[in-house]
Amino acid sequence: MSFLSLLGVEFKKIRRSKILLILSAAVIFLWLPSIFNADMNFQMQEEGISPENNFLIQGLLAMAWFIFPASMVVGTVLLNQTERSNKGIFKMLTLPVSTSKLCLAKITVLFTLAAIQVLMFVGIYYLSAVIVTETQSYNFILSPLFVFKEAGLLLLSSIPMLTIFWLLSVCIQTPIFSVGTGLASIVPSVLMINTKIWFAYPMAYPFFLITAEYGRLAANLNTAQIEFVPWLPVAACITVICLLIACSCFGKAERRSSV
Amino acid sequence: MSLRLECRKVKRTGFVPAFIVGGLLAAVVPVVNMAVRSEIYVGLEGSPIQILMDANWQLMAMLNVLLLLAGACLMYHTEYADNAIQKMCTLPIREWDLFFGKFALIAVMGIVVLTLEAMGIAFSSLHWFAISTDFVLELLKSFGYAFVLMMPAALISLLIASLCSNMWVSLGIGIICVFTATMLPDHNFILSLFPFALPFQIYAGAAETTIRNLMIASAAEAVIIALAESLLLKVRRSME
Repeated sequence: MSFLSLLGVEFKKIRRSKILLILSAAVIFLWLPSIFNADMNFQMQEEGISPENNFLIQGLLAMAWFIFPASMVVGTVLLNQTERSNKGIFKMLTLPVSTSKLCLAKITVLFTLAAIQVLMFVGIYYLSAVIVTETQSYNFILSPLFVFKEAGLLLLSSIPMLTIFWLLSVCIQTPIFSVGTGLASIVPSVLMINTKIWFAYPMAYPFFLITAEYGRLAANLNTAQIEFVPWLPVAACITVICLLIACSCFGKAERRSSV
Repeated sequence: MSLRLECRKVKRTGFVPAFIVGGLLAAVVPVVNMAVRSEIYVGLEGSPIQILMDANWQLMAMLNVLLLLAGACLMYHTEYADNAIQKMCTLPIREWDLFFGKFALIAVMGIVVLTLEAMGIAFSSLHWFAISTDFVLELLKSFGYAFVLMMPAALISLLIASLCSNMWVSLGIGIICVFTATMLPDHNFILSLFPFALPFQIYAGAAETTIRNLMIASAAEAVIIALAESLLLKVRRSME
């Protein structure tokens, strides 16, 4: 089976799950407090950031810290449970499909879910910016190029994190451990971004990036800036290693138990 | 009887190890924080428990709430996978007993997790601070308060999990609720009554009236959620 047809099959599998509803509800709940507390954007004089930039950055910070990683953990649960319920994975393993192609197709679906959520984020941002512009009589709407650039940075920096979550859900057979480990690994990222070895902790990448952007946009705040040299090679290594291990381990437990 | 049955159901799911590992992780937080940044905290005034809780409880409570959510979703997932819940409904037991048995198990695991965290806080206090005579009493009161405030969160996670047959839907809804709870401003009393926001409250240093009101509120919420669950189960059963 070609990779593209496998990908189509994977997308059909999640068509009737309510994952898109959950992702959009998460993003809407993210922007609701920003809409209600819009007047706090005008009190950022000591940080030296303009209100419209602050509006976007606060939303991005909340997204990068918790909602985006947590929604992706939920996404990995979805992708694995559709196989494990009713023993779907056994039927998949009887087909003439290579398991690594199957694993890659599933992780592509995970990346697509991440991209869809980031797109939803941008969409609801514009909606909330329009609402807040009306209520506060100040233009909160930023240029699409800037917003898409920030959102794109968020998405790209989260790729290593997604591969780690996928690896956890493939290798750990009990779903509570993979979910629990994934969720628990999100919590220390607040602490890790303040250390020098932040590049060793992929769950902290999106949060670190957005904090660096915040420091760049705010005139009086000095946050640590990204140094590409230790970060990019480490991120690339982590991504490649996780993908390799996940593809080789996919379905191994079921294959062992069925033989 | 229901509690023993629930214990056997979760034996192979890794439920108990997950809670123990989560409790250990949360217990390590104050120790690591003090080991790395002790200068900031040693000079502050207030009892050691108050300083440690102010510094670390947000992180520890977040881990607790996420553990409760994951545990509740897992317990109901073992029922919904392979349609076990339909077989349970044919037995002469009420679905309400199932809910209550699961709640009892999660409450017991909650006590285990809080005990581990209390040991972490006690170790940090003994090692870096001078302790007073009523240290043990204050510790017990703090963690007893944390346990009472955790109950509505446990009940509502179980309620959400019992209603959705897919694990990711209940997990997703729970995650959104936890996120909303972290976003709520903590000076507003009404908003702090949100079940997922209650575990983030600290006993040490809070006013007497606040403590009393929050405990009454969490007991009331627990009763309301339990009644809502029994009602929803009856409605769902009558609609099948």
